Order: sequence, then C-alpha cells, then structure tokens
Amino acid sequence: MRSIRRELLVWLLLGIALAVAAAAVGTYWRARDEANALFDYQLKEMAASLTDAPFAAVPAGAGTIGAGSDAMVVQIWDRNGVQVFLSQPHRILPQNAQLGFTTLSLESGPWRVFSTLAGGQVVQIAQPMSARRELAASMALRTIVPLLAVLPFLAILIWFTIARGLKPLDRVAAAVARRSPALLEPLPEIDLPREVQPLVGALNDLLSRLSHTLDAQRAFVADAAHELRTPLTAVHLQAQLAERATTDTERAAALAELKGGLERATRLVEQLLTLAREEPGVSEVPPASVDLAALAREVIADLAPLAGAKSIDLGLSSSAASMVSGDVDALRTLISNLVDNAIRYTPAGGRVDVSLSGDGGSVVLIVRDSGPGIAVEDRDRVFDRFYRGSGAGGVRGSGLGLAIVKHIAERHRAGVELGPGIDGCGLGVTVRFTQPIPARPLPGSPAAAPAGAR
Amino acid sequence: MRVLLAEDDVMIGASVRRGLSQDGFTVDWVEDGRAAELALAERVHDAVLLDLGLPRRTGLEVLSAMRRGGDSRPVLIMTARDAVADRVAGLDAGADDYVVKPFDLTELAARLRALSRRRAGRADPILAYGAIELDPASHQTRVRGQTVSLSAREFALLEALLARPGAVLSRAQLESKLYGWSESVESNAVEVHIHALRKKLGADLIRNVRGVGWMVAKPDAAQARS
Repeated sequence: MRSIRRELLVWLLLGIALAVAAAAVGTYWRARDEANALFDYQLKEMAASLTDAPFAAVPAGAGTIGAGSDAMVVQIWDRNGVQVFLSQPHRILPQNAQLGFTTLSLESGPWRVFSTLAGGQVVQIAQPMSARRELAASMALRTIVPLLAVLPFLAILIWFTIARGLKPLDRVAAAVARRSPALLEPLPEIDLPREVQPLVGALNDLLSRLSHTLDAQRAFVADAAHELRTPLTAVHLQAQLAERATTDTERAAALAELKGGLERATRLVEQLLTLAREEPGVSEVPPASVDLAALAREVIADLAPLAGAKSIDLGLSSSAASMVSGDVDALRTLISNLVDNAIRYTPAGGRVDVSLSGDGGSVVLIVRDSGPGIAVEDRDRVFDRFYRGSGAGGVRGSGLGLAIVKHIAERHRAGVELGPGIDGCGLGVTVRFTQPIPARPLPGSPAAAPAGAR
Repeated sequence: MRVLLAEDDVMIGASVRRGLSQDGFTVDWVEDGRAAELALAERVHDAVLLDLGLPRRTGLEVLSAMRRGGDSRPVLIMTARDAVADRVAGLDAGADDYVVKPFDLTELAARLRALSRRRAGRADPILAYGAIELDPASHQTRVRGQTVSLSAREFALLEALLARPGAVLSRAQLESKLYGWSESVESNAVEVHIHALRKKLGADLIRNVRGVGWMVAKPDAAQARS
C-alpha cells in the first residue's frame, strides 16, 4: 500500500542528500580555487626568498625546504644550464625555460612549476597538484560531514512531523468510523488544517444528504406502516364479523365486505409500491417518446367500466401534438391515477373530462370532474403522502394518488396545478409538460403515436 | 349501554358498529371530530370510542375539550400509532383506556364493559340486585340461579335500571339507552319492554313513578350481593 509518510520521507531525504552532494561539489571547487591562489602565492614567495639569498648559502643536498613542504622541489640552474641546486635529487624536473607559472604533467601526476630569473640563474619551484586537490577535498569533506551526521536526525524529525501533520486525517477517519446510519451528525470542522478541510466539508455534505434521504425513507416507512394498519384493521374486523355470522346471508354479506377490505388493502400496497418505484434514483428508464393522447385512450378504455358502473360520463378530447419524452409506464400511472381519482370522487351521474392540448412547445393534460372538488386551503396539502382532504364526500382513498402524480410529474419536469373542474365546480388537475418535444416517436415505444394523435 | 363511536374510516366504523351491536351495545357512529363534539353535547352516551386521527378535529382535541368541559364519561382510544409516546399522550389527555389497531371486537367490548363497571364503582363484573344477576359479558340473566331469557332491549333496559338503583329514569332517558340515532322508536316501546320484564322477573321489581319514570328500589343490605 502506498504511504504518504514513506513517500514524503524518501523524497525529502533524497532531496537533502542531493543538496548535500551539491554543497560538497561546490565547496570542493571553491576550495580548489582558493588553494590554487594560495599555493601559487606561496611558490612565488618562496622563489623570491631564494633569489634574495646568496646561492652559496643554499645548502647543497638539503632535503627539504621549509616546514611541511616536503612535496616541494627546488631546482636552480646557472646561466650555463648547470644545475647548481636540487632539493630532492630523486625528482627530476625538466629544465623549463618558460618563466612564470606552468603546469606540467609528469609521471607522478600534474605539477605546478614557478620559474624565475635571478642574478643569471634560473630558480624553479615545483609542487604536485595533488596537494591542492587533497586540501580542497578535505575542506569539502569537512563541510558535508556534519550535514551527513545530521541526516538520520533529520529523517526522524521528518518522520514524526509527517505523522503529526497527518494526525487530523486519523481523527477524521475515527470520526467517520463512529458514524452509523443511525448517527449521521456532521464531522467536527474546527481545528482542521486547510488541506483536510475540503475532504471533511465534502464528507459532511454527503452525510447531510444521506441523513435527509434516510429520514425521508424512515418517515415513508413509518407512514406506510401506519397507513397499512387502517385497511388491515378493517380486514381484521370484517373477518371477525364473518366468523361470528350465524346465518348464510349474514356470512355472505360479511364476506363481501371482507373482500372489499382486502381490495382496499391490496390497492394501498400497490400504490405504495408505485410510490417507492418513483423515488428518485430507483428507476432510471431511458426516456422514450410517448404519445399522451394514445396513453389517455388506453387508460380511459381501462377505466370505462368503473365509470360506467357509476353512470359517469367519461371522455377524452385531444388536439394537435401530445408527444412528450418520458417513462411510458410512469406516465400511464399518472393519467390513470388522475382519472381514477376523478371517477372515485365524482358522484354517480357526474362527468369526467380528459383533455390534451399543446401550446407553444408544451403539452397540457387536464383532468376535470364534477365531484365535490378540493377546498382551496387543502390544495397545497393534497400532494402530501397520505393526506386526505376533509371534503372527500365519504370516499376514502389511500391518500397516495396525488402524491404519486406529483412524483411522476416532477420526474418529467412537469408542473401540476389544481383548479376548478367542470362548470366551476369539482376538481381540475392540470399537468403541464414543458420539455422539448422530440421530432419523431421512437419505434417500438408502446405508446408510439398512431397517426391520428398528432 | 350506548356508545359513541368516532372513526373516520368507513370500513372500520361499519365493522365496529356491527360488532358492538351484536354484543348488545347501542352504537352511534360519527366520522369526524366536530360531529363527535356535537354528539357528546347531547350527553346520551355512556362511553366514547375515539379514533385519534379524525378529520376536522383530532381525537386528542375532542378528548381535551371534553375533559376541560368537565365531561368525565369513559373514553377509550383506538389508535394506529402504537408508539409509547402516542399512547401516553392519549392517556394523559384524559383517556381511560386504549386499544391499538388492529384490535379484536370481543376485546373492545370487554374493555368497554370494564370502563362502564369502573365508572359505576363496581369491581364485580356481575351486576347483582337481590336475587337477580346480570352478566353484561354473556348477556345472561339469572334469577335465583335460574337463567331467564331476555331480549337485547329488555336486557339493556334492566341493565340501565339496575346500574343506578333508587334513581328514577325518564322515558326519554331509557329510550336514549336503548336506541341509537338511526333507529326509530315506537311511542310505547319502553312500556312494552317494562311489561315484558315484569312478567319475566316479577311485577314488583320495577316501580313506576307516575308522570316521572321508572326505578328499581334501593336494595337493603340483606339483598345486596356485594
């Protein structure tokens, strides 16, 4: 596994080592330049001191000249080219007529030679260059040795500093680990380094969204469980009455009611499922081109028997374009819920109109009825799950129909409005699809437009 | 025993009304909180079965208003919310008991009888008066150990009279115990039932206080079963 700590340590130490090496090289070069200047000056001074002295005073065969300068060789010739003095006989310098400084390459390496004329004699002083290199090297070494000595301490310091720097990450990790679906409070944001702040901010954002989603789900489940209790209680009681029945007619009546109760419970479960499917992120059906008029005809055909049973006049009027892009099944549920609601809440002998119209790039679906309508003060709340208006006229729905309609409409970026129904009474639900209308229906779409619908 | 049922769900309301009627209760059913308050104002019911999720006025609001107004009739809450907090809220608002949906009809009836007993200050489920014993749970009547067959209305009438010995009950009061709103009352129904009771249990049991109503005499100590 990659480790920020290890990587930082390795790269930092590598960088420091390179810096130390560069310092060593730099020191070496500078020290060599300085040694050159110093030693050249020394050679010159020595030559001057030799020329000032009477030659006779030069002790013949003297092994060394000056303290510590055993490496130096002094040669003196007279004007006839006869060697009159050689400090170290075993070393032979070539007779060099070139005056001033020269660097000679001899078998034993490069030598620095200074030659000067004095009183008809040539004085030559030579010194091996290696002396200078050694001096420079030793100076360079003296510079980097303390640096190298500090390096392990530096490594330890870096190791612990990084650990300290990364501590907030450990704290964040521990805080995240303490979170659970039941406890999604935001992570503490105080005292965080700037580098960790964005991470914690993003995590908190996620936590809060997660918490909202979970709350919504919990509320939904709690509501659903509570709402299921009502039809189940009815079924429970109806079953008890059927058990108690003493005559066949009583039993038949009780069983018929039980069946009604079961149908209601079943319908509620189906609607709960529909609602659950419409929760964001649950179903991602790729949008297809849907002809709302064709869908409305299907729905009306399905619900005609229900309307017929209550002698309700159910009809469709559609004009021009009614193509929208969306999820066919969801849109069918939307229309079906609206028409079904209208039929349920409209008294026998009433009327339910479904109309589709297009105006300026939008498709408008309106379902109107001649039922009791919904009081203006209730209109905002009827879209809430399980909300039932007080003026429902004795009809008890699941309280989910309009909530489902709203969910589906929102998913299709359509607006839902409640208004008056037929002739100013009853309820009119307007669903306005403002999305761009696709040019052509997709082949294979179940509700792909029959020619007459366009 | 006449019970006011406040329940907004049609199926539950209809089933409870039918079930309790079969158990000998007279049940009046209202579907919202306002109607419940209007019905309570009539003061004809002996107990209230209250759903908490009523439209227009919630069950808790109805209950609080009742208790604030000094109405101490027993209230049994029917709730679908089974969280402890919900039940506590109901009881603290003045309810005497509660059932959680879904509940059992027989249990509901038993709890109503228990509430009625407690209100009358009795612990004994058998209503006894002299040699007569009434069992509201099984609807059995015994005189000196012998079972006497009474109709549901006769039983209810006797129960009403025996519940308050010594008190004179008017015709209207007795009618309100026997008949719900939806039932039509014949003008001499109470006399007919009393006549039948006298025939079955003895002529001297129920006394007529002319122009006022009927009563059973306060039992003397020797007669009381307690």
